[in-house]
Amino acid sequence: MGAVLEVSNLWKFFGKSPVLRGVSFSVGEGEAKVILGPSGAGKSTLLRCINLLIKPDRGSIILDGEEVTAPGVNAARVRSKIGFVFQHFNLFNHLTALENVMLGLIKVKGMNKDDAFKVARESLLSVGISEDLWNKYPAQLSGGQQQRVAIARAIAMSPRLVLFDEPTSALDPELIWEVLGVMEKLSREGMTMIVVTHELGFAMKVADEVVFMDSGAVVERGSPEEVILRPRNERVRRFMERMQYVYSLK
Amino acid sequence: MSFDKLLDLAYSYGGLLFNGLLVSFYLTALSYLIGFTLGVLISIARTYGVRFVKAVCQAFVELTRGTPMLVQLFLIYYVLPRVGLALDPLSAAIIAIGLNSAAYQSEYLRASISSISYSQWEAALSIGLTKLQAVREVILPQSIRVAIPALANELIYLFKYSSIAYFITVPELMYVSKFVGSRTFLYVEIYSIIAVIYVAFSIAATEAFKFIEKRTSIPGLRISTRL
Amino acid sequence: MNGFLTYVPIILMGVWNTLILSTAGFLLATLLGLLMAFTEVFSPKPISIVTDWVARVLRGIPLLLALLLVFYGLPRLGIALPNIASAIIGITIVDSGYQAQLFRGAIEGVGGRQLEAAYSIGLSKWGAFRHVIAPQAFRAALPGWLNEFTIVLKDSSIAYAIGVTELFTQAVHVAQVVLDYLQPLILVSIVYFSICYPLSIISERARRRLLAMGVAAV
Ligand SMILES: Nc1ncnc2c1ncn2[C@@H]1O[C@H](COP(=O)(O)OP(=O)(O)OP(=O)(O)O)[C@@H](O)[C@H]1O
Ligand SMILES: [Mg+2]
Repeated sequence: MGAVLEVSNLWKFFGKSPVLRGVSFSVGEGEAKVILGPSGAGKSTLLRCINLLIKPDRGSIILDGEEVTAPGVNAARVRSKIGFVFQHFNLFNHLTALENVMLGLIKVKGMNKDDAFKVARESLLSVGISEDLWNKYPAQLSGGQQQRVAIARAIAMSPRLVLFDEPTSALDPELIWEVLGVMEKLSREGMTMIVVTHELGFAMKVADEVVFMDSGAVVERGSPEEVILRPRNERVRRFMERMQYVYSLK
Repeated sequence: MSFDKLLDLAYSYGGLLFNGLLVSFYLTALSYLIGFTLGVLISIARTYGVRFVKAVCQAFVELTRGTPMLVQLFLIYYVLPRVGLALDPLSAAIIAIGLNSAAYQSEYLRASISSISYSQWEAALSIGLTKLQAVREVILPQSIRVAIPALANELIYLFKYSSIAYFITVPELMYVSKFVGSRTFLYVEIYSIIAVIYVAFSIAATEAFKFIEKRTSIPGLRISTRL
Repeated sequence: MNGFLTYVPIILMGVWNTLILSTAGFLLATLLGLLMAFTEVFSPKPISIVTDWVARVLRGIPLLLALLLVFYGLPRLGIALPNIASAIIGITIVDSGYQAQLFRGAIEGVGGRQLEAAYSIGLSKWGAFRHVIAPQAFRAALPGWLNEFTIVLKDSSIAYAIGVTELFTQAVHVAQVVLDYLQPLILVSIVYFSICYPLSIISERARRRLLAMGVAAV
């Protein structure tokens, strides 16, 4: 079985308190996995571990058959194969939209400017950022535009996998759909991704599997229908009831 | 002072004073460059370096900022020869003022580096940049922009502080004015004239830097400094 | 040893003049600086602009030059003062420009929103200044003000140029006698450092404390 990513028994402590407690799952080629869970569950920490932005204390992460948590692994090389989309976009403030996308292509992939430009252009167009915005700086773009540029920056590197950490939580309600739309399209085109989000509609529509985390552990997993509509775990049921209150009109 | 006298003065000593001004500029420019180069290195070392390097840099910065520039100048000019490093007055002044400025510039840069949020660092790593690349491509370009007002101010400060090279007989503006004063006994007149020169350059530079600051600012972005 | 130890007390005697010189100059500059800052912020435009320019001119003069100007200038006006008084005047003149800038930044930094909020609860203009702007502005200025004192203290060594017998001057005189600059200079460095360093730490602490209170120091 060619899983793109295999996480097994991952532990992470901050000081004495465990933030991840033996998390395991695997992500197959082209799969969209959605991670749900209350604030403080350790979702961001999990994604940061996968991208080696923080070092897990125990357990292993295997990307394309290579154990990336092994000592001596070149973290930069691994990260270049994994895209990361942040809650607050984190575009490089001093670079235009286009330059944001080109930076990694030039400095990490070693492309020349022309090639980098071609790739960046494709990437920006695919997330619906039209040419008139390419030379704008992040602070001149709307939140939705910034997040789409951030997605373009991630996918331009042709990653094996893209991680999304609450990509729409910092957006005005009307701008959320444009980002979710891009993500849905990306998934349909076969991109492998892990998405931490509270957007249940998106999870229902796009997720191949939903994983529910609480207090650093996976407490339930299954199809979106199972986990969101018919949760077995009491904690998950309460969470879903609240989410239904917030998000549905009934 | 009568106009005739002024013309006379300009005629006899104008060239000398002009040369003094050039030396002041030269001294300011070189010591600023030393200060900037070392300042960048120190600020990076103090932010990303290993503990020992951090401690050494911190000691340098605190000792330098805690003592008068004049003491440092005298140490370099009068004490270094004893260990076989005899410097001419101008070089001694350039080095002393440059080292002093390095301490201050490193602090401005360090504050601006820490004003660039951690998320920029994470984002840089997330696309696969190495730490060195992240510093060079993402952190430094932004923090230098943030530090521009302070760094510009520092240049103006240095221009004024370059006058202390007078004490070790560097023929800069202050020193040649003193010379002209002692020749003509028109101390107050001479000093008033060069006060105008110093003030004019300081204010002109301030305005020029305001302009540069506007031109180099990142459109739409406000980052506030201070640790 | 070259007899340096016997001269240590002579050098240390210079501390008093250094302290008198820098404290007096600094506090007078605070008075003038406050005056200029208030004028810049609160008076009609023309007066405000003129004051701003006065402060800018003062900031443009090197301290050494100001000291020499006062030293040679006052006698020309028929005023004979001891050197140390000339030095105090010189320091006051230059530093008041810097302190004006400091206080002005602090007042303006409190900002329009705080003023709006003050008006919104019915405070008058004066009431808003007294109860909302001033308390915050003085706090915001505190770290910079302490820092400014360390600058004045260190720069008071420049009074050597007009023969004030302060710390640095004493060190140089002793150095010329014992034919060694290292020991006297190290000694005075220790003195300057042991005053400036604690002050800069206090200043930095105050800055952090204020930041935690939501006041951004200037
Ligand atoms: N750098 C850190 N140092 C100490 N504790 C941390 C650190 N980062 C996270 N934590 C703690 O770890 C726990 C999990 O944090 P994490 O950000 O992973 O949660 P999350 O599921 O992403 O929550 P949210 O929905 O709020 O983003 C929290 O209790 C948090 O306080
Ligand atoms: Mg999170």
